[in-house]
Amino acid sequence: MQVILQSALTQGLVYAFMVLGVFITFRVLDFPDLTVDGSLPLGAAVTAAMIAGGHSPLLATATGVLAGLCAGFVTGFLHLLLKSGESDATNYGPKLLAGILTMTALYTVNLRIMGRSNIPLLGVPVIFDKLGSWLSLSMLGWNLVLVLAALAIIVKYILDWLLHTEFGLCLQATGDNEQMIRAMGTNTNLTRIVGLGIANALVALSGSLVAQQQGFADVGMGIGTIVAGLAGVIMGEVIFGVRGISWVLFSVIAGSIVYRLLIAVSLRLGIAPTDLKLLTAMLVVVALSLPTVRKKVMRA
Amino acid sequence: MSVPAPVRLCGIRKVFFPGTPNEVVALAGIDLAVPAGQFVSIIGSNGSGKSTLLNAVAGTFSLTTGKVLLGERDVTKQAEHVRSRTIGRVFQDPRAGTAPSMTIEENLAISLLRTKRSGLRRGVTSARRAVMRTQLSRLGMGLEDRLRAQVNKLSGGQRQAMSLLMATIAEPSLLLLDEHTAALDPKVAATIMELTAQLVTERGLTTLMVTHNMELALRYGDRLIMMHAGRVVLDLDAEQKATLKVGDLIEKFHAVAGEAFAVDRMLLD
Repeated sequence: MQVILQSALTQGLVYAFMVLGVFITFRVLDFPDLTVDGSLPLGAAVTAAMIAGGHSPLLATATGVLAGLCAGFVTGFLHLLLKSGESDATNYGPKLLAGILTMTALYTVNLRIMGRSNIPLLGVPVIFDKLGSWLSLSMLGWNLVLVLAALAIIVKYILDWLLHTEFGLCLQATGDNEQMIRAMGTNTNLTRIVGLGIANALVALSGSLVAQQQGFADVGMGIGTIVAGLAGVIMGEVIFGVRGISWVLFSVIAGSIVYRLLIAVSLRLGIAPTDLKLLTAMLVVVALSLPTVRKKVMRA
Repeated sequence: MSVPAPVRLCGIRKVFFPGTPNEVVALAGIDLAVPAGQFVSIIGSNGSGKSTLLNAVAGTFSLTTGKVLLGERDVTKQAEHVRSRTIGRVFQDPRAGTAPSMTIEENLAISLLRTKRSGLRRGVTSARRAVMRTQLSRLGMGLEDRLRAQVNKLSGGQRQAMSLLMATIAEPSLLLLDEHTAALDPKVAATIMELTAQLVTERGLTTLMVTHNMELALRYGDRLIMMHAGRVVLDLDAEQKATLKVGDLIEKFHAVAGEAFAVDRMLLD
């Protein structure tokens, strides 16, 4: 039991940054961004290739995050190109297409960066070893969970601060009422691109940490990221509530942990790992339709 | 803070879907000079181009031909969001002017930032909160005590009052009102219109107000413009307008609009 809990917490926390990224695109920017399926392995690929090439894991992680930032910018620019001038906030077609294009292109980019489909990171020092030697802790078991939790909380507070700055308010309003914030003199094309960059930087951070934690980067590791991210966001919101952005950021991190806990329990119950994606998709469908079903039942 | 500026429109034309069977000449060449501080009411039937005129001034789309001058500046080629720094706007839909899931104070902070570049300083500061409280208290809706409430918890009238405040709080050079009381119930509409008149007079704002309501157009503002088929067909100053009644206005409309009258009368009534 303790092993399950510990591994679920570790997984939930390394993926929490990705879930925060998905939260920013889906909820704050109202931009269903599919780039994440490509930017998660991008972060992993850049980090793994650099560590394998003898660079410091810290630099490798930072570069991975930077790569994710750029991937988000690319999606933002593609969206500008595809929406062809007329800005209609509820037109999701160009948003989805921009993400799909970047995601597809990133598959090739990731393969090129790695030079093959898989880079093992066993026996080489990764970021956790570095942190461990600084803190004079062994980065195993509960120590790793604590360090990851601290990192998640730091990132949470940075996001919280950012979203409440002048720029952050404009970013929030871009997703909430684009017509209004344009009429207030904000270039929403710019805020959207920056927001997408930040979100994908977070997703790439997750990818980088996942690779270093599991000991390899794989070109296929991003498949289904968007659905897993959504599952984390929705479960967090449903279970822990949505009062105010500051609180939701915590909810979403907790949602990521609950989601990984569910996966760990499912595996323990004997569900094949290959069935997990279908299970996750069903979970998201159920969670998304809950409010509608509840309303129907109440009326009947 | 900027000062009220004169507006000049020179030969503005806007053709939508040019060269297609759906081609529409929305603005058929409009020349209009509005001195600084003037409050102009614009009336006309559906499709007469009055809302298109406001959007042309705001820069929502690029013009087919013609120029827009705001103060001394030619803003014809300026992007909408750049122009928006000095132009305040209120739309017909009360939901259009505020960000629903953000708080009252966050919305107002954004409106206070209009003329500045938004940076990484805190958005809602205690200094800004003090300004917000003073400004909100004049609405008489008790919103000054609910700064942290989400805007989607407010009524349509409260949201429109906030939109109006947000459009004028940074003292724009120009205020554009697009049927901003049309979606409200009569009592609330009257309150919002009174508030509009107060804010406009007090800040001496150059204002263009589009309305369907002839009575409003006669009662408020110091100039009245009637549009038809993308043109200005009637232009009355404060003195001429003071002597008019709604009936006279319908007659005048009949004279200029000709055979289109029968249909339009129903719309205007």
